[in-house]
Amino acid sequence: MINICRRPSAKLSKPARCFRPYSLANGNIPPWRPSNVLDEWVQREAHPISLRQLTFFGRTLTESRLLSSANYVRLELPTRIAHRLRNMQTLPYSALTNEHISHVYEAYYRAFETFRKVPEVRTLDDNDRFCEVLKTTLKEHLTVIPRLAMGILEIQDSVSGDECDQFMNTLLRSRISRRVIAEQHLALNETFHSPWHFDGKKSGTAPEDEFVGEIFLKCNAKEIVEKCASRASELTRKAFGPDVALPKIILQGHLETTFPYIPSHLEYILGELLRNSIQAVVERRGAGRDVPPPIEVLICEAAQHVIIRVSDQGGGVDREILPYLWSFAKGPRRNKRLQNLGKVPRLAATMQELQIPPSSDPDSAEAGSSGEKFGSSLASLSGRRPDLRLGIGLPMSRIYAEYWAGSLELHSLEGYGCDAFLQISRLGNKNEVLSTRASMDAV
Amino acid sequence: MLGLRRAKHHGFRLSPNLLFHQSTRHIQTATVTDADIARLACQPLHPLTLADLCKHGHPPLSEQSLLNSANFTLSLLPARLAHRIQSLRSLPYIVVANPNVSKIHGNYVHSLSTLLPYAERRIETLKDEVEFTAVMADLVQTHNNTISILARGFLEARKYITAKEVTRFLDEHLRARIGTRLIAEQHIALHFSSQPHNDLHESAHHIRDAQESSYIGVIDTALKPAHIIRNCEATVGEICELKYGVRPTIKMVGETETSIAHIPMHLEYVLTELLKNSFRATIEAGMEREAIEITIAPAPATEEQTKTLKNKAEQMIHDHVGVISNYDQGSVDYASGGNKPERASAGNIRALSDSTPGVTIRIRDRGGGISPENLTKLWDYGFTTFNEDEINEKTSSSDPAGGMDAVMSQGGVGGGISLAGLGYGLPLGRAYAEYFGGGIAVQSLWGWGTDVYVSLRGVGKV
Repeated sequence: MINICRRPSAKLSKPARCFRPYSLANGNIPPWRPSNVLDEWVQREAHPISLRQLTFFGRTLTESRLLSSANYVRLELPTRIAHRLRNMQTLPYSALTNEHISHVYEAYYRAFETFRKVPEVRTLDDNDRFCEVLKTTLKEHLTVIPRLAMGILEIQDSVSGDECDQFMNTLLRSRISRRVIAEQHLALNETFHSPWHFDGKKSGTAPEDEFVGEIFLKCNAKEIVEKCASRASELTRKAFGPDVALPKIILQGHLETTFPYIPSHLEYILGELLRNSIQAVVERRGAGRDVPPPIEVLICEAAQHVIIRVSDQGGGVDREILPYLWSFAKGPRRNKRLQNLGKVPRLAATMQELQIPPSSDPDSAEAGSSGEKFGSSLASLSGRRPDLRLGIGLPMSRIYAEYWAGSLELHSLEGYGCDAFLQISRLGNKNEVLSTRASMDAV
Repeated sequence: MLGLRRAKHHGFRLSPNLLFHQSTRHIQTATVTDADIARLACQPLHPLTLADLCKHGHPPLSEQSLLNSANFTLSLLPARLAHRIQSLRSLPYIVVANPNVSKIHGNYVHSLSTLLPYAERRIETLKDEVEFTAVMADLVQTHNNTISILARGFLEARKYITAKEVTRFLDEHLRARIGTRLIAEQHIALHFSSQPHNDLHESAHHIRDAQESSYIGVIDTALKPAHIIRNCEATVGEICELKYGVRPTIKMVGETETSIAHIPMHLEYVLTELLKNSFRATIEAGMEREAIEITIAPAPATEEQTKTLKNKAEQMIHDHVGVISNYDQGSVDYASGGNKPERASAGNIRALSDSTPGVTIRIRDRGGGISPENLTKLWDYGFTTFNEDEINEKTSSSDPAGGMDAVMSQGGVGGGISLAGLGYGLPLGRAYAEYFGGGIAVQSLWGWGTDVYVSLRGVGKV
């Protein structure tokens, strides 16, 4: 094995912030690294958190709370990354040497090395430095999702579909969790340093009142649906021409319902569902003929959760792709998906060129959401052309929905249309759904 | 009422009950030995498709076709009955010792005993065929009330068997029962709509009816779901008026003129159960002014689609992907360690390309939905939702269904008047829907209503 003696010492002495692009002359074989460091972190348990805890924690922000948040993040991130690195290491060798998977693996390892070396945060200055590190890493990892998706499609010959799905689900779930706690800390940091923040007191007049960091306490389903609907319609118009007859989106049910949630997550899920529906209807009816049947969105509120049903008459799901609907390992349309993933903007960008795409409708309330600020990878995916079918919208949406113990279901009436059911826990008191350590190292 | 209903569905007027009473004393039986059962249970079960039932042709059948049908039926049934007997025998002794369960066991043994005389023989003459049809009628008649009797038996024996085991057993048993009855009833129906040996003037108009009808035995090749829905709406609506004083309405959308090839009895059972649930929930939520919306969505089938499906068949087997396949679920028999669903479907994937996709029916009500606790028990056979008093009441009374619930139930296919209130409607309905590759999915919007999706397959060009 050529790589054993390659450059372990060189790696250790490298400063954490230097991200030299990784390449090896003889292919993408990852270098050997001493495993005891990783083992140590793999041993730790992750401490999952709930929306409610995040909210209460951030409501009264004092310096000590901010620092303790920093330390929580400082330890959680390398722990969670270590778990995922171990997952990846136990994949078949042929899977990990795939160019895309290897790229992601290396990025994760670098992040791990970076975070594990951060010393304890004791002062606000320490915290500032830590926040810089967070921001940089978040930015660097923007392209992980399309990369992973492409890698999965390419390794289907060596790894079974089920295993791929499980792997993707675990990885993405963990990724969401890490970004949530990182972005939450960054948002809290900003609130703390903002001019109208009084140490220890909750400001009663600022619009930020309704935001605790990333979390919007009063997500109104109706507003979010309307926002996503107009965005999706815009994109469809761009793809099919300005004359295309778009289906109307009719809202019914308990329109005044509010609940605490992270808006960017909800926007992503609803965006995907609405976009699928609109596209299906437009493609089925043929651009510009008769009035297309409307898409009905029902918002239903119960004590413990909110259910949003999106009902379209877009012809339903083709029987041949129905088995692969929730899978990242696609069946008959695999090659097309692979091509499309390669065309997603930001995929080929180098780190220096990464720019946040302008959002189509910056709401003043939404400006506080870090989805736009810190560079959301979701933004680049959501902003893609609608005819660029990636095949990951549904499984990704499900992971997001399930992250806070919700659910996403789809029922197809073949030849007629689809009903999608998104269930969201309202109280915010469910813990994040993480893959446990026990399920990882079990032999 | 039972007989009339069946007759109407078969498209002919003579009831098999009549035949049964005429010929009981002429049915030969042979003693069933354990060796017989073991031998027959070892035989693999033939997974049944709708095409199988239709392959003998459109009635009236010629003599040869009728004999073929009889022999085909004869080839299938003994093995199936033996599997059922073995399956029952693998239950705990104390459960099978319960008088109700024991009665059912006895019924199956009896039915097998009526078929054994035909072992090694083929049916070559019309006379034999008439006798054989009488045997079939006896079979159907004997097992009419299996479900309600079994239900009582399991209820009484609930201390000795877990709800989960009962669910598992019943899931398999009831599916197998559907198949066995179907085979027998199909032959009876074909027999009566053919009658080549009967007087022509008496049954002339019977035969003419049969010729004009779209029926092949118990299958209606031009079944309109909308028609069945309207019938069920009327029946269930009447019961609601009786019990609650109000009657919800149905609004049908989609392609209401769709027709598929399917078994009216089955569809009627499924839809009645679902409508009962919807109507009752709607009324109890005070929403009877809101129409229940039923969407009929025929699935398209193109040449290209069926071809692609055939090509993908091998890939799907390889991927072990769950495919809606056209196999007989009753052929999965755990007792004999028989065919697992994957293997059965592998053997039958070809049948999928021969069938046209059928129809999806969506029932949307505003009845408030199903609570999360009940949602977990939705597909159980009603065992976990009773308290001790209710159970004692149900097991001690001679009429197993009390009061209004008895009026709510349907006879015929269910095979008994006590199903309502025992919580069998949904799991049984699902068994019927899934039988030829369809299914039922329930989506509850707690606080608003429920959406139910019934998907059915058809048999295609016959």
